[in-house]
Amino acid sequence: MSRGELNISRWLEAHSDRSAGLNTFARNAILADVCGDGDFRLVLTDVRLEADKRSRLKVYKGTLLTSDQVLPDIPSSLISFYSDELEPRVPSIAVACGSDLLIYKNNKPFYKFCVPPSPITPLEEETWKRFGEPNCDFAQVMTDLKSVRFNQLSARSQELLTLPPEQVPEYITRFTGLTPLKTSPIVSMTTLNRFSEDKSAIACPVLGTESGIIYILDSQTFTILHQADVCNVRTTPAIIKTAGMFDVEYRIVIACRENSICVLRRGWLEGKSLIQMTEDIVDMVLVPGDNFIVVATASKFLHCYTKRGQRVWSAPVFSPVTCLCLVPLKHLSTHLIAVGLKGGSVHLYHGRQPVDYTNSPDSPSALVFGQLGQEEHVMVVITMAGTINFKILKRTADFNLSNQDKLAAPTLQTKPLPLPKRSKLFIEQSMRERQNPIEMHQSFQEDLVRLRLTAARALVHSLTDQSGAGNAQEEIKLSAQVLGLGPKFTLILTLENMNAEKPIYNFLVVFHAKPSVYKLSTYVVFVPLIPPSLSYKMETKVTEVLTNEGVPQPPQAIRVFVMRKEQANPVLAASINMPPTDMTGLLL
Amino acid sequence: MGLFSKFAFFLGVRKKEVNVLVVGLNNSGKSTVVNHFKNEEERVTEIVPTVGFSVEKFQNQNLAFTAFDMSGHGRYRDLWEHYYKDCHGIIFVVDSSDRLRLVVVKEELDLLLQHPDICNRKIPVLFFANKMDCKDALSSVKIAAGLGLDKIMDKPWHIAASNALTGEGLQEGVEWLTQQIRDVVLNKS
Ligand SMILES: Nc1nc2c(ncn2[C@@H]2O[C@H](COP(=O)(O)OP(=O)(O)O)[C@@H](O)[C@H]2O)c(=O)[nH]1
Ligand SMILES: [Mg+2]
Repeated sequence: MSRGELNISRWLEAHSDRSAGLNTFARNAILADVCGDGDFRLVLTDVRLEADKRSRLKVYKGTLLTSDQVLPDIPSSLISFYSDELEPRVPSIAVACGSDLLIYKNNKPFYKFCVPPSPITPLEEETWKRFGEPNCDFAQVMTDLKSVRFNQLSARSQELLTLPPEQVPEYITRFTGLTPLKTSPIVSMTTLNRFSEDKSAIACPVLGTESGIIYILDSQTFTILHQADVCNVRTTPAIIKTAGMFDVEYRIVIACRENSICVLRRGWLEGKSLIQMTEDIVDMVLVPGDNFIVVATASKFLHCYTKRGQRVWSAPVFSPVTCLCLVPLKHLSTHLIAVGLKGGSVHLYHGRQPVDYTNSPDSPSALVFGQLGQEEHVMVVITMAGTINFKILKRTADFNLSNQDKLAAPTLQTKPLPLPKRSKLFIEQSMRERQNPIEMHQSFQEDLVRLRLTAARALVHSLTDQSGAGNAQEEIKLSAQVLGLGPKFTLILTLENMNAEKPIYNFLVVFHAKPSVYKLSTYVVFVPLIPPSLSYKMETKVTEVLTNEGVPQPPQAIRVFVMRKEQANPVLAASINMPPTDMTGLLL
Repeated sequence: MGLFSKFAFFLGVRKKEVNVLVVGLNNSGKSTVVNHFKNEEERVTEIVPTVGFSVEKFQNQNLAFTAFDMSGHGRYRDLWEHYYKDCHGIIFVVDSSDRLRLVVVKEELDLLLQHPDICNRKIPVLFFANKMDCKDALSSVKIAAGLGLDKIMDKPWHIAASNALTGEGLQEGVEWLTQQIRDVVLNKS
């Protein structure tokens, strides 16, 4: 069996449970060593949206469900992180439910962090004060409340405005005297390593709220280390990814529900919009190493951007993308991207190239890849129909990546550009450029403008200069000289063969002049063979036709054509401006 | 069997020395199994994951075993095949509680059985369905079915449920292997 053959799947089907009945969304399944025994577990949230059912936090050991806990609210996101360096290393699991972050350790509830409430509008505060006053006209005060923008109200006021009128008084009296709090639910979450890139290094939870605020928390004390707005306009962070370390330098890349991608760096209080997409963002991953941002859109495309937001490539996919997942392959020192597609398949991309695919029972809703149990390369696929499917990457799979690299590079780039080696001169020059960039740029621009001016002048000069006309293709040049004061002139033409190798022959020169003005001794001159790099001179006598009164006519041009025999198109044409006849000379 | 050992065998010098290869995925209990066969005084109390491989010697019924305890970690499994040529028997240790990786075990077993140094030899293979004490362990019958052992026609094989921590099942398995190797060796001479 040869390694990496295409027809044989690279994935071993380890287990599939169609009756799992899971309802798990992207970023709600993780692989973590929750017991600290090196036996990695699958942790996921099983969401129930029905009012009478509760969402659950489930832990799988291998393929078996070993723990199932009820969650107080609908979870939005799930992370795991190490908060200390105590042995054995046990990571914390954190679930975002509403505006609370529930932290579990050793599978037990451990701590609860609440997102700080934001101030309510003065008008809303005022209305709730008035509700408390005796003989308050609720309907009147409520119209005031309606003048506040709905999304700026607290949850309590929002609910009040949606209640049927008969329930309003009862609802209001329940809360009289209590100022409402406006909290914003956590909508997305990730982790950011604190001071080491290590996989099991201490990391900080990073939360994004509906109102567009990013919080970075201390993983031990759960205090806010840093708080920033996603962007200068209000946007909701739907997907957050991080790179770098909190204590050194980091970047938080945020895909927003409004289809922009923002970046937040160390020390910033407000993120910067990097990319504005026209299509809906389905999922996003950051590729470590290259720092590329790969985005899947609702229009069946994968787009790849640099960390500065320049597009690197776009690749169409076969059907709508449901989720993405990074597949790090340390032994091949590369990263693939698993793309879950509607209809039930998972395609693996190496850069823009699809390198493999594997089936899933139906459309995947969440994908995770990593260590599960003792196996390092496990992909867990949870589908929309609730199936859980475990696949193991074969030890022998290499994805033909060495061949793929060659295919992936555009043909033009396979040849390296003939760039000269960096000389000392070049390096010194670039040093100087770095030192005085403005002056050097200005002087370069000045020289460039000068060069353009010189070129333009030369062009004008050669256009107006009659002495020489040439045909670069035929490599001949014609120059003319007019001798005499008139009415008799001598016209001397010089035809030069500029080609250094070939002689020219079969040429003739034809003169055109108005017979009423000039009379020429010859009108056609047959040019003999001109050897390479030599010239031939010919002479024509021109006599100006004087009127009966002996008055010279206004001077005119004589046109000269250099022709090849038996060809109608001239090879070269020139017109010679004749000087006016000097009447003073005539009179003498 | 190498030329030298054949020669030695005729001369009766190394009459009772046999090589067995102990393979299986990482964490299946190979080192624990091998450790159990060693003399009381040579046994180690704490077993750490094997890096590369380690060589251990032990005796059973007048046969001197040299066991090559191979690391089962993914990146070391390539090493196994280098020892196929010179071994007289294979002990394949399976963690019967690791349901997830049963497919990986099957994949590795298939690669082993298809290897040119193995496929045409009548080499005995002993399977230990280890960790039988774990509560979600699969029975040896289920493991045999999962690995498709019934399809192995050209080699003698045997599966024994075992607990390498207490030694349960190990002796029975090794006795079978000793008998097989003896038969093969005797037939050849
Ligand atoms: N419960 C149980 N644990 C075992 C058994 N055999 C080995 N182990 C444990 O499994 C782990 C791995 O064993 P080890 O011999 O290092 O596996 P190897 O990687 O195949 O050499 C150790 O913690 C052993 O204590 C067994 O039969 N039952
Ligand atoms: Mg070992």
